[in-house]
Amino acid sequence: MLSDIVAQYTQDSTSYHGDLAFSSSNAWQGDVAKQFGQLSFDLPNTGNPAEFLHQYTDVKSDHDALIKLAHGTTTLAFKYADGVVIATDSRATQGSVIASQSVKKIIEINPYLLGTMAGGAADCAFWERELGRRCRLYELRNKERISVAAASKLLGNMVYSYKGMGLSMGTMVSGWDKTGPNLYYVDNDGTRLKGNLFSVGSGSPFAYGVLDRGYDHELQKEDALELGKRSIYHATHRDAFSGGYVRLFHMNEDGWEFISLTDMDDLHWKYTGDAAVTAS
Amino acid sequence: MSGSYDRALTVFSPDGHLFQVEYAMEAVRKGTCAVGVRGKDVVVLGVERKTALKLQEPRTVRKINMLDEHVYMAFAGLTADARVLINKARIECQSHRLTVEDPVSIEYITRYIAGVQQKYTQSGGRRPFGVSSLLVGFDIDRTPKLYQTDPSGIYYAWKANAIGRNAKIVREFLEKNHQDDMNKDESVKLTVKALLEVVQTGAKNIEVVVMTADQGAKYLAQEDIAGIVGDIEKEKEIEAEKKKKKPLTRSS
Amino acid sequence: MECLLGLVGKDFAITVTDTSVIRSITVLKHNENKSRELNPHTLLAFCGEPGDTINFAEFIQKNIKLYGIRNNVELSPHAAANFTRRELAQALRSRSSYQTNMLVAGYDAQKGPSLFWIDYLAALVEVPFAAHGYCAYYCLSIMDRYYRKDMDLEEAKDVIRKCIDELQHRFIINLPRFVIQVVDKDGIREIQL
Repeated sequence: MLSDIVAQYTQDSTSYHGDLAFSSSNAWQGDVAKQFGQLSFDLPNTGNPAEFLHQYTDVKSDHDALIKLAHGTTTLAFKYADGVVIATDSRATQGSVIASQSVKKIIEINPYLLGTMAGGAADCAFWERELGRRCRLYELRNKERISVAAASKLLGNMVYSYKGMGLSMGTMVSGWDKTGPNLYYVDNDGTRLKGNLFSVGSGSPFAYGVLDRGYDHELQKEDALELGKRSIYHATHRDAFSGGYVRLFHMNEDGWEFISLTDMDDLHWKYTGDAAVTAS
Repeated sequence: MSGSYDRALTVFSPDGHLFQVEYAMEAVRKGTCAVGVRGKDVVVLGVERKTALKLQEPRTVRKINMLDEHVYMAFAGLTADARVLINKARIECQSHRLTVEDPVSIEYITRYIAGVQQKYTQSGGRRPFGVSSLLVGFDIDRTPKLYQTDPSGIYYAWKANAIGRNAKIVREFLEKNHQDDMNKDESVKLTVKALLEVVQTGAKNIEVVVMTADQGAKYLAQEDIAGIVGDIEKEKEIEAEKKKKKPLTRSS
Repeated sequence: MECLLGLVGKDFAITVTDTSVIRSITVLKHNENKSRELNPHTLLAFCGEPGDTINFAEFIQKNIKLYGIRNNVELSPHAAANFTRRELAQALRSRSSYQTNMLVAGYDAQKGPSLFWIDYLAALVEVPFAAHGYCAYYCLSIMDRYYRKDMDLEEAKDVIRKCIDELQHRFIINLPRFVIQVVDKDGIREIQL
């Protein structure tokens, strides 16, 4: 009886998405679900495409696989009284090679939404760009900006539908909506968490250390920005896969604002100079 | 008059009418009256209800339905058609919550319903819904909303409106008496008063839902409605008496 | 590494969930609620594969909510648990399976409180007390030893306290906070130990 009811609005997965249909949310017949229906990529023509892709994708850079991903990162974002601080490094590595020192790991989704990039650079860039498209469509349809909760949920649903196929993405979606500042963590498992403070990437434990100790919800804007910058600096100092520049953004009710791009080398001499002064 | 242009739904008449859609609107005009009123931070839905037969279970006849916790819908027209529409809308409400976490905005679900109605005017083998609906509710920012859809798939926002039998009379009454900053009691009273313009049988044939941002929706109890109807009738009597007295004072 | 407990008392059912979200060696979040209200008298607590758990739980939650709105009557805990099991079992046999362990705690006006244990293979059992995950190793024996039928709330809290104390004493993972929720005739509410 109940399954009949369910059958009315769930559907045969093969009929709608071709080979793809993973989460129940995508199986809903509803309009929103369709509007935000997934892109259908061609998948390997094997019995279990997820397993096949998983086998050949080197998500953690720890074994030889055909598909190698660029990663190694420190990113962080935290909410405080006046908004959200978002900071990242700018290094991309492939194995032991520094592939780039000038990666833009903060992605402007729209004037009120930012995403960060950790994990596979291509995956983050692609899916957050796609998220931007969907947010714009939402805005046009509904005559109002999408909430951060909704935007992060869309991103979560998109990557969840490709779960296990080798996507690599750890991102923080931050923004300002009717409810004020918001921060969500979304990753390729389909995990989506609302929180006050996150750090993602290989350098995150180092960043957490400095960030957690210095964090206070009532920080002044200046101090909050400095804390973000400093946490990234200390992470890059200890994590070989992080480095380059600290890119710093701030979010308030008027949307995001680019604060600074600072060479890690300059920061190093500034901070070690400070330490030398305090030590003496 | 309509020639054969009302046989196949998707065919225009030479002067640009879709007769089936217009007949559907006629079905709405024959349906029982529904009134929606938006106050300062309250929305009220009131409907005229057919008298339940002696042996009928009155609970099975519902003219105001919950779509989601924050959206209620009343309709005028074919009840059976409305049920289909309501079912689709309810699924969409939950699907929306699942895909974007936020509850639907009132405009969103109105647009969805209007969209379904429009689809049935433009594809083969179907007939339009003989239903107009009034949707009330609160958006996430706690503003009260009132929307209307009709069989052609158009939708509008209103401060107050009526659909169904004698809707024109009721709408004119509302136009005269509606104020933007009405509180809860005033809004309920205006709704009932408007309905009484066309409902002769009084309180037992009226169903009212009141919604506020804090307390959500509440079906008014029959006694409460009877009380309001009583008050209104008393006021009317006093006014009528005043009118009677006036010419006397003039002549004296 | 997650902890999920439940037990049935005289006129209530309790669930206990930890609040940590752990990724590799990092605790990402300290205050995550790992349960969803299915209807005013039924609670679904879950643990398992990240992503799957919440997606499945919310899918179930919205369906049961829809049922309530459509039919003007809520599903009983027994029905809700069986519905959940069936959906999980069907998903298990499709391309999109979920790895989710669950407990359904509920209160039925006629039948009283109940607790259902559902594992990721979609086995369903009604039980007086239950645990999922590693904490089952420590807590099941404690509940075997101290659980009695018809416990009142204070006695039940005492057993839960024993479980949590033991976890914090022996279990390698630090689980500092738990959400304890009671379902009874008045609905669902969170309590402190």
